Amino acid sequence: MTLPILPTTAVGSYPKPGYLLEARRKYLRKQISKEELTALERRATEEWIRIQEEIGLDLLVDGEQYRGDMVAYFADEMNGFAIAGLVRSYGNRFYPKPVVVGPVGRKSPLTVEWFTYAQSLTSRPVKGMLTGPYTIAEWSFNEYYPTRRALVLELAGAIHDEVVDLERAGARYIQIDEPAIHTRPEEDFELAVEAMEIVTAGTSAYTVSHICYGDVPKIYPAMLRLAVNQLDLALKNEEFGLLDTFRTHAFTKDIGLGVVDAHSHRVETAEEVAGGIRRTLEVIPAQQIYVSPDCGLKTRTIDETVGKLRAIVAAARLIRSELTETGTLGIAEART
Amino acid sequence: MITTVVGNYPKIPDLPAPGKWRTAAERLQKGQIDQAAMREVEDEVTLEAIADQVEAGIDLITDGQIRWDDAQTYFARQLTGFAINGLQRYFDTNIYYREPVAEREVAWTAPMAVRDYEFAHAHSARPVKAVITGPFTLAALSRNQHYANRRTYMQALADALNHELRALQHAGAQVLQIDEPAICRHAQEYDLFADAIQRLLSGISAKTILCMYFGDIGGIYPRVLDLPCDVLGLDFVAGYRNWEILGRAPFSKDLMFGILDARNTRVESVDEVVAAIGKVTAMVPAERLMVSPSAGLEFLPRSVAKRKLQRLVEATRTADGTLQEVRV
Repeated sequence: MTLPILPTTAVGSYPKPGYLLEARRKYLRKQISKEELTALERRATEEWIRIQEEIGLDLLVDGEQYRGDMVAYFADEMNGFAIAGLVRSYGNRFYPKPVVVGPVGRKSPLTVEWFTYAQSLTSRPVKGMLTGPYTIAEWSFNEYYPTRRALVLELAGAIHDEVVDLERAGARYIQIDEPAIHTRPEEDFELAVEAMEIVTAGTSAYTVSHICYGDVPKIYPAMLRLAVNQLDLALKNEEFGLLDTFRTHAFTKDIGLGVVDAHSHRVETAEEVAGGIRRTLEVIPAQQIYVSPDCGLKTRTIDETVGKLRAIVAAARLIRSELTETGTLGIAEART
Repeated sequence: MITTVVGNYPKIPDLPAPGKWRTAAERLQKGQIDQAAMREVEDEVTLEAIADQVEAGIDLITDGQIRWDDAQTYFARQLTGFAINGLQRYFDTNIYYREPVAEREVAWTAPMAVRDYEFAHAHSARPVKAVITGPFTLAALSRNQHYANRRTYMQALADALNHELRALQHAGAQVLQIDEPAICRHAQEYDLFADAIQRLLSGISAKTILCMYFGDIGGIYPRVLDLPCDVLGLDFVAGYRNWEILGRAPFSKDLMFGILDARNTRVESVDEVVAAIGKVTAMVPAERLMVSPSAGLEFLPRSVAKRKLQRLVEATRTADGTLQEVRV
């Protein structure tokens, strides 16, 4: 499968349909079984695969219908974690913050079954989706390891094993989310770099790291040293202000270009999205750009999500034709 | 030696219950209830936060800051001159706040936290302190689009917040706490900070606590002892270097000793805390000590926050007993 120039993709999560939210509530109250819940998660996953195909996305995600939260999911599936309770993130958003209470490690593959299922539904490539070791450590309470470093490196080994298993299961694109990576840029960035080297060591899959929320200029250009092919970033959130940062030092990796705001209800128009891509093309060559939302879309409604994805696909098509017309780019240059 | 807290407290109980605050916040967002109904729920949850502190035996409590969305916008929304921007990470935490933007002249027009103080005072068996976010931190975590420079911006904030401290004092608050976590990261701006604190505290005779957490005061000690406040609140967890820093000069104020880790679920043992109190009394005599968590307890699930409060009291009482024996 060949991806076109400016491939369109998504960051990971999509909203859960009403029936799945209801089922999750019932499952928590022990009114339905795990099997019943899983069946509905599979149904929702298939629906999102069909929606993405219909919209015309090039590189798909499974929509994370089986996850409550990007860290708690991994903590729940691994050894060494206990679930503490809910902690407020902002406004009335809370997240279950796990507690490291013993040595951490995989019991069995964490995401392979979901990847395999999602990929079986479509001929388009589906990304393998992982949360990175720095973020898992940072968004958990650590009651066991003497230092954050010890915990991060142990988790890096576990996530590496998952990368190996995903690749073995056929994943050609693997994303490792590290939204917490710039929490302590001065103190910890080298640790995050070291951890990512462990995670992606030896893989031949195309690797992506999604980074959001925070002071990206503070870790630029250092972030270009992360051992991945692509950095996926939220540009729309600050109206492409990050481009000024990228002008100071060439963006030497591929970029997953966030072009729609994942935290606003307003659905951007295709022309607005195309404008953002055009501005980016002044700074980063088309061959290095994947087009995506700023972040996971799970907090949007299904309609908003579909609207935003349609705008992305329409904008990418528009820019592709502009590039072809102006001869900036021949079809032959399309990515393989 | 008394026990106190830094300020905020979890708004909701542990799983599986969503909690009345969360349910009400969702209904408010959907337009199913109005602000007045939300305020009633905030009052109820404030009473829970007060009850947890009083039952644990905390000597000097806060209202739990249940009404605060975050420490910046609670004030910025009530002062004139601010618009509220998108989400920003709060220091090195996984907590986010909305960034205030000063678009026009910043001014105080009406009391912001006075009703909160009065409510807590009326419903608490223990003394209540009033807490505000200081001008330096408010400036550091907001964007200035109106004032010519940081100094004039911070002065405007200090003057506005000075009105609030006066109003709180007038309402009877005997202890006022000013939270300035940002100074731990911007020690090089100490002169601006000192200027702002001087302005902020002008005309204030109530007891004042200047609370600096998420780091140490290495860059500003012992200069910070010259500021016109009575108590320095320090974080001995994230700011563990304070142990060494305080040894550089005699500590001439009262100390609010932030020793229980407000950002980790591991509950310290009584022995650990007693040992730490013993160690700090070598620098600050027990009668000038307030023992507290390192920061607000809202970083923790509520059940753990409550256990931390209980442990804080248990350990401080044990230490008190030990110290008195020594003196006898």
